[in-house]
Amino acid sequence: MRNDYKIIFDLIPSNSKVLDIGCSSGELLSLLNQKENIQTQGVEINQEKVVKCLENGLDVVQGDINQILEDFPHNQFDYCLLTKTIQTVNQPDKLLQLLKKVGKNIIISFDNSNYYKRVIEFAFKGSFDKLLQKSNKEQWFNSPNIHPCSIKDFTILAKQLGFNIIESFDVKNNRRFKFPKTPSNIFCKEVLFSLNT
Amino acid sequence: MRNIVKNNDYPGYVLQCNEELILDSGKIIKDFKIAYQTYGSLNKEKNNSILICHALTGDQFPAEKNPITKKSGWWDLMIGPGKTIDTNKYFVICSNVLGGCVGTTGPNDINPENNKIYGIDFPTITIQDMVKLQKILVDELKIDKLLSVIGGSMGAMQVLQWAATYPNSVRSAISIAGALKHSAQNIAFDEAGRQSIMLDPNWKNGNYLNEKTKPENGLSVARMIAHITYLSDAAFQQKFGRNLQEKKDLSFGFDIDFQVESYLRYQGKSFVDRFDPNSYLYMTRAMDYFDVSNQLIENKKTIVSNKIRFLVLSFTSDWLFPTKESRSIVSLLNSVGSPVSSAEVVSDRGHDSFLLDVPQQFKIIRGFLEGIKI
Repeated sequence: MRNDYKIIFDLIPSNSKVLDIGCSSGELLSLLNQKENIQTQGVEINQEKVVKCLENGLDVVQGDINQILEDFPHNQFDYCLLTKTIQTVNQPDKLLQLLKKVGKNIIISFDNSNYYKRVIEFAFKGSFDKLLQKSNKEQWFNSPNIHPCSIKDFTILAKQLGFNIIESFDVKNNRRFKFPKTPSNIFCKEVLFSLNT
Repeated sequence: MRNIVKNNDYPGYVLQCNEELILDSGKIIKDFKIAYQTYGSLNKEKNNSILICHALTGDQFPAEKNPITKKSGWWDLMIGPGKTIDTNKYFVICSNVLGGCVGTTGPNDINPENNKIYGIDFPTITIQDMVKLQKILVDELKIDKLLSVIGGSMGAMQVLQWAATYPNSVRSAISIAGALKHSAQNIAFDEAGRQSIMLDPNWKNGNYLNEKTKPENGLSVARMIAHITYLSDAAFQQKFGRNLQEKKDLSFGFDIDFQVESYLRYQGKSFVDRFDPNSYLYMTRAMDYFDVSNQLIENKKTIVSNKIRFLVLSFTSDWLFPTKESRSIVSLLNSVGSPVSSAEVVSDRGHDSFLLDVPQQFKIIRGFLEGIKI
């Protein structure tokens, strides 16, 4: 199981209403549904993945996250989840502003672009391919990851938009860290933030 | 008093109800009947029933061969042993709607008050009135809770109405190519169709059955107009283009030149044989009046506490009930706190896609039904 899923499972209390944006085939939603009295809703653009979710009894709306969130009512969800997805969005700032209206808390995970190994690899290889690709198939020009960001980038934006960072996790090591005291922007490969407003 | 009889005219059953039903208009119908057909069998726990709601010109024979037309049922691709709605697994019920002309009480029946054919003395009906009749039938079959209610177009309206009016009685609802309310454009098309019927001199103010005539031209033109709305630009183009009908040159007259004209006239003519003009008026009116938004909001507590699961499907080329209508359904259900699933199926065949061989549609519905444990 993905480490960020484990962390999210521990963060979300029973009796919550959860929206998973870019829920893929519903692994995280199925996991969360093991909790008591939890109500989940997914959003996914890929129809085959939507069908997988349906087969598992999950509720998922097919839609493009760049547009679909405008259809969602305000203050309807306790938690909005965005796992390894923000880098694929057309306008991450707009999405975060929408999420602020839709949910009370936001949990977001992403790969830190400033992770030192990535930076070194980029410096020596001189190509954006590895930095941007989501799987081995893509190169810089056809990668869905159009907005890679570092921990620093993200936290500056979050502050601008008026979010409070409640929790920060080094996902790979499944460890909380106090932001911004540790040099996480360099040493943390993948990060997870829990935010509210 | 209610009793179920085997239908004398054709296969299926008729539930005869010697009672009064108050309609949304405030008017009352007395001694009505509900014609229906079933497929598969009800299990011991009585929890495997699926109600199919038919569209404007459908009937209670979605599966197998239609006993009246001798053609495949209108949803034979969807319903049957091993098919998407698997009759080895589910007990499928489908009834002709109130106001219809295939056995359920409608304007071509005898008014028990005066023993004359109703005609336009038949009260105006709503989608909710249709659903009330279906509920009577489901109660009579001793089914407390339907596993699912499924329908496309006007059938989708009934599906949403079921969730709004009887949220305690459904576990899931599948709306295909539907809407929360009929759009202004759709009311406009309905009105053009109705005017076509009513301006036919043979309509006789709705009294044509007593006068032994039928507004065939009017009904035929109404069907032609409607049929255009069921297809798409691409479907017309692919099917006919500008091909000429059994001729090489234009006639420079108003006879049939193009294949598409021939096709439309055929659609109009063949419809006349199987449909009642007054039924067409009543049912299009019911669609015009449909707006289920407020009822869904009013009943949100029951909808959410019953954990009704919704699937909302639309088709990319449907311009009669476009995806934006389905998005409104999703948005409203979300705003009342109900989880919902949705998908937009790629098809260039217009509104009629829900009746056609669109495998992705079957796949999604099958997946959704699999997710609901019997």
